[in-house]
Amino acid sequence: MPVKPPRPYYVPVANEEQVFKAAYRQGLSVALKGPTGCGKTRFVEAMAHDLDRQLVTVSCHDDLTTADLVGRFLLRGGDTEWVDGPLTRAVRDGAICYLDEVVEARQDTTVVLHPLADHRRQLPIERLGVTLDAAPGFCLVVSYNPGYQSVLKDLKDSTRQRMVAIDFGFPTPEVEEKILVNEAGIGHERAAELVRLGQAIRRLETGGLREVASTRVLIAAGQLIAEGLNPRDAARAAIAGPLTDDSTVTRGLVEMIDVYLADEAITD
Amino acid sequence: METGSAAVDDDGPQRLGLLASALAGRTVAVASGDRGEPAWTDGITVFVDAGECPLRQLESVTVQASLLAGGGLEPDVVRKLVRRPALAKRYLAVEGHRALAAIEELLPYPVRPLIDLDLATRADSPAMSLAVAGGQKIADPPPSFGVIKARNLLASHPSAQQSDMGGTHDPRRKSAKELPELEDADVGAESDVMDPFSSPVGGGGAAGNLLQRLMSRVRQLSGGGSPGADTPTHRSHSGIRGAGMVTSTSAPPSEIDDAGDSEGKGRKYPEWDVHRMRYRHDWCTVHEIDPPQQHGHPFGRPDVHALRRPLTRLGIGLDRCHRQTQGDDIDIDAAVEAQVEMLAGSAPDEAVYLDSLRRRRDLAVLVLLDVSGSSSEAGTFGQTVHEQQRAAAAALTVALHELGDRVALYAYQSQGRSAVHMMPVKRFDDSLDALAMQRLGSLTPGAYSRLGAAIRHGASVITEKAGTSRRLLVVLSDGLAYDHGYERDYGAADARRALGEARRQGIGCLCLTIGAGTDTGELRRVFGSAAHASIPKPRQLPDVIGPLFRAALRSADLRRKVSQ
Repeated sequence: MPVKPPRPYYVPVANEEQVFKAAYRQGLSVALKGPTGCGKTRFVEAMAHDLDRQLVTVSCHDDLTTADLVGRFLLRGGDTEWVDGPLTRAVRDGAICYLDEVVEARQDTTVVLHPLADHRRQLPIERLGVTLDAAPGFCLVVSYNPGYQSVLKDLKDSTRQRMVAIDFGFPTPEVEEKILVNEAGIGHERAAELVRLGQAIRRLETGGLREVASTRVLIAAGQLIAEGLNPRDAARAAIAGPLTDDSTVTRGLVEMIDVYLADEAITD
Repeated sequence: METGSAAVDDDGPQRLGLLASALAGRTVAVASGDRGEPAWTDGITVFVDAGECPLRQLESVTVQASLLAGGGLEPDVVRKLVRRPALAKRYLAVEGHRALAAIEELLPYPVRPLIDLDLATRADSPAMSLAVAGGQKIADPPPSFGVIKARNLLASHPSAQQSDMGGTHDPRRKSAKELPELEDADVGAESDVMDPFSSPVGGGGAAGNLLQRLMSRVRQLSGGGSPGADTPTHRSHSGIRGAGMVTSTSAPPSEIDDAGDSEGKGRKYPEWDVHRMRYRHDWCTVHEIDPPQQHGHPFGRPDVHALRRPLTRLGIGLDRCHRQTQGDDIDIDAAVEAQVEMLAGSAPDEAVYLDSLRRRRDLAVLVLLDVSGSSSEAGTFGQTVHEQQRAAAAALTVALHELGDRVALYAYQSQGRSAVHMMPVKRFDDSLDALAMQRLGSLTPGAYSRLGAAIRHGASVITEKAGTSRRLLVVLSDGLAYDHGYERDYGAADARRALGEARRQGIGCLCLTIGAGTDTGELRRVFGSAAHASIPKPRQLPDVIGPLFRAALRSADLRRKVSQ
C-alpha cells in the first residue's frame, strides 16, 4: 500500500473545515466563494486528504460542454467506444469532483449538475441511456469568484440553491504571515512586510487593478525572496507584474513596493 | 530605483498617488503643492512640496491620507475649523495620531515612528479628537503632518457628490492657490461671512444652479417657439459655458465660427440642407484634436462585469460544426464515409465528430460621446448627464475591449460648421490604459454639437480603421443639440441623412441617452425607435444593450449583404 502523502498545508480561517465535513457526511454539494488566490483549491485538496477521497478537478472554461464533463463516444477502428468524462468517473468511483470557476462554464452545462447536486444524487447519461447513482463518498464541490459581481446572478438560482455555500476571504494578517512563512520559507519579519504590502494593495478599489494582490502572489514573492532575490525586485516580479500591464499603475505599485519593503536585508 | 532628493517632475509626488489611495481607502491623487508650503489636501488631491526629501513627502502623504481614511476631514468636523487655525492645528495633532494609529497595521515601516501613542489613545473618533483639541494644551503637530485647510475641504466637498471626479475640479484647485494667503489673514475678520457652499468658485452653488436652470429653459423653449427662433447663436457663450460649472481654462481652445486657420486642415464633410433638399458640399470641417490632458483626474476603472454578458453573446453564437477531429458526438455521415474509404483501401479521414464551436469575434465599435454644454445639466440622480454618459462610455469601451473587440471612443462638440471638434479618447489602435482613462476624465462639457458631422466623421473613421466586417456606431447623447446654423428641424434632417449614409455602408447605428431629464423623442425619431434607448442610470445599461446591439447589427448585416 502506498504511503499517504502529507496533508496539503491549509490553515483554517473560520469554521470552514467543520462545515465542509458536515456537508460531506450528509451528501450535500458545496459551493466555495472567494477571490482568486485565497486558497479555495488548497482547501479542497486538504479536505480530500482528510476524508481520504480521490479528488477529480475540472477547470471550467466557457467552451466546456456537457460532453466534456460526462463523456463521449469515440471511434476506434470500426467501433464506437464510450469514454467517461471526469464527472462520470468521479460519480462511479465516489470521488470528490471539484469544478473550479464553475461560472465560466456555459449555463446549459451546469444543468447536468442538478440531479447530482440534490437529494437524487444521480447522473443521467443521455447518450448511453443510463442513469448512474453516485457511489458513496461522491461529493460535488464548485468554486467561483463573487468579485465578478454579475457572476452571482449568472449561476442559476436553481443551481445555487442546491449547494451549501462557504465564503472565503483573504486570511487575517497573522494567519497570512504564518502561511507565507510556511509556504515560501521566509522569515517572520519579511513575511510581515509582504503581508502589509498586500493589505495596502487590497484597499485599492479603483486603482486600475482588476484583481488585488492575493495570498498566492504574496507567496510567489516570498518564494523569490527565499531564493535570494532582493525583496523589492521579487515583489516587482511577483506582485506588480502579474497585477497590471498598465505602465502608470505599475509605477504606482512599484512606488508602494519601495515604501513597504526594506531594500537592505533584514537579519532573519 | 533611486528616488533622488532633487525630485524632478517625473519623479514628483504624483508617484505616491497609489499609496495615498490605498491608505485612504478611496481614490486620491497626489500633486506637488507650492514650494515651501506645508502639505494639505482638499479631499481629492493631496498636495505636498516636491522640494522636500522623499521621506518627508511620504510622511505627509501618509498623514493626510490617514486623515481621509479616518473620517477626520468630513465636513461636519471641518466646518468647526473654518477660520480657527489654532484649533485646526491642535485638532490635526490629535486626529493625525489617532488616524495613523487606526490604520497602523497598514502603515509602511518608515512612517510608523511618527505615531505618538499617548496622543492617539486620547480620542477614538474625529469628534472626540476635536473635543480634546478644544479643551487641552497640545503641542504642535510635527511639520510633516502638514495643515488642514478647512475652507478648501469644504469647497470641494459638495462637488465630490455632485460631480465625482470630472474635469470640474480643476478650477477649484486653481482657486485654492489663492486661498492660502487669505486664510491666515482673515482670522479676525468675523464680518466676512462667506458661505463656502454657495460660492461660485465651488460651482455647485446658487449661481451655478441658476445658470443650470436657465440652460434647461433654453432646451425646452424650442418646443413651442417657431423654428430657428431659439438658435443658440443668440445666446452668449458665457451663459452656456458657465452652466457647465467650468471655467474655459480647462476646455479645449474655443474657436469662433470662422476660425478655420487652426492647426491642421481638418476634414470636410457635406451637410444635408433640408430646406433646399440638397447637399451642401464640404460644408463642415471636422478637426481631430487631442482632449485636454490634466493630471489628477483619476477616473476609476468602471465595473463592466454586468455588461460583459450581453456583449459576449453578440455575434458569436455557437455553431454546430461537422467533420471535426474531436467533438461531442460522432458525425454519422463522416463516419460512414470514413468506413467506406477504409474498406476501399484508402486512408480514411479522421475528422468524424460533431462539435459546437464559437465563431471568431468580428466586431468594431466606435463610441461617440456628446460633450456639448447641455450635457453638464444635472441629471436624474444628482450626477450631471455628462458624468453619467461618461461612465457609460467608459464601461462600454472597457467591456468591449476586454472581449477582444475593436473599440474606439471619441468625444465631440462644435462651434459652428468650421470647428467641429472630435476628441479621440481612445483610437482603434490605442491601448486602453490609465492615460486613456485620464483623457476621458479630463473631458469637460461645453459648446454645441453638430451631430451630422460627428456621425459622418465617425463612419469614415470606422471604415478606414476598424478592419472588421461588422461595425457599430454608438452615440451617447442627451438630446439633439444645436449649433450655429443648425436648428432643430435642419439638424434632425441632416443627422437622419448622415445615419442613412452610415447604414448604407453597413455600419449599425444606435443611440443611448443616459440620465437626461430632457425630452429625447427627437433623438428617437432620428435614430428610429429600435436603435435608441433612454435609461435613467448607467447601471441599467446591461439590460438594454443586448437587444439594441443585436438589432443594429442585424440590420447592418442585411444592408451589407444587399449592397454586396
